[in-house]
Amino acid sequence: MTALTPTQIDALSELGNIGASHAATSLSQMLMGQIEMTVPSVEIVDLADIYKHVTDDISALVIFQMQGEIEQGGYIIFLMPLHSAIRMTNTMLGMSDESREINEMDESALNEIGNIMVSAFLDATAELLGVVMLPSPPTLVIDMGHAAIQQLLVEVACDVNEVVFFHTKLVCNQYAINGDLLMLPDINTLSRILEMMDNLLNAHS
Amino acid sequence: MHIAELPGSLWMDINHPRSDPRAIVIGIGDYHVGTEPMTSIGLGSCIGLILHDTRLDIGGMAHIMLPESGGKRDRPGKYADTAVEILIKDLSKKGCTPKTLQAKLVGGAQMFANFSGNLSIGLRNVEAIKELLKKSGISIKGEDIGGNKGRTVYYCPAEGFQVRVRRADGSCSEL
Repeated sequence: MTALTPTQIDALSELGNIGASHAATSLSQMLMGQIEMTVPSVEIVDLADIYKHVTDDISALVIFQMQGEIEQGGYIIFLMPLHSAIRMTNTMLGMSDESREINEMDESALNEIGNIMVSAFLDATAELLGVVMLPSPPTLVIDMGHAAIQQLLVEVACDVNEVVFFHTKLVCNQYAINGDLLMLPDINTLSRILEMMDNLLNAHS
Repeated sequence: MHIAELPGSLWMDINHPRSDPRAIVIGIGDYHVGTEPMTSIGLGSCIGLILHDTRLDIGGMAHIMLPESGGKRDRPGKYADTAVEILIKDLSKKGCTPKTLQAKLVGGAQMFANFSGNLSIGLRNVEAIKELLKKSGISIKGEDIGGNKGRTVYYCPAEGFQVRVRRADGSCSEL
């Protein structure tokens, strides 16, 4: 894979920053609590090192494929440790039992929350780039984070050994909820996004 | 030392594959051959292929992602064909022969319907590896494959051919 220049990394983190801020705001509104967000990191990660970024702890992952004018553009994933996911739906639905098993109501709540956040993420980034980007319907997976991400990598990293990995952490201290917003763009999508960012930067300089 | 004096963090749950901090983590597309403990965490559709020589108590593990390399040689552990080949090659350098080697397979799950509608890559991985092992004359001594849950695998060649598997639902077993 061709290395990204520092300017391209900057541009991509800024794009991720705008998207993630909108996603965090929508989560904050749904939880009626304050959300803290880390500055998104954009890294080129070797497949063999993915385990350093995603653990095999049991997690809830809401997975979306990026669609719209960018076809099969890669994936956006909202990943939460399972305990956090249950605390989040408890908070929203006014329940308190944290040791219960995950149920259908949690699952549809997680899908819906993920949908709202990721739609906000894509709306904001697409508006900046001047294209239409839509999330696919969500796929909810309750499993080891690494195992689920690995199955997605089969789709985006068949021919390459490195992936571009966007990563932002979201934390709500008030309810002890935390999650990760991840984006794994397809290599073709990435070059299209970079092209659009270049045009955008040139238009303003 | 009296056992009670050990601080809690030193206690090891032998059933928990990641509790061994010495274990070499074999990432996606990676492989390793030797006597050290090895682990592959969070196998989804990937396969953890373990070859073991019971005479010498050495072995190797590969974290295989795809069934066919199509001629690519840059990442031998990533594809079934190149991974089987390189494991056998590196193990022969240490005195093993296909006759003394045995195999175990872990992984190959289909965790969710693929977005592209591809048929289960996990099962294709399993089929490819089994075919290659058969051709090389290596017998399969155990497997925990298929299903729809992720797995973490741990293997310590020095302890013999014992492979520990922890599944996403928390259950553990030994192969």
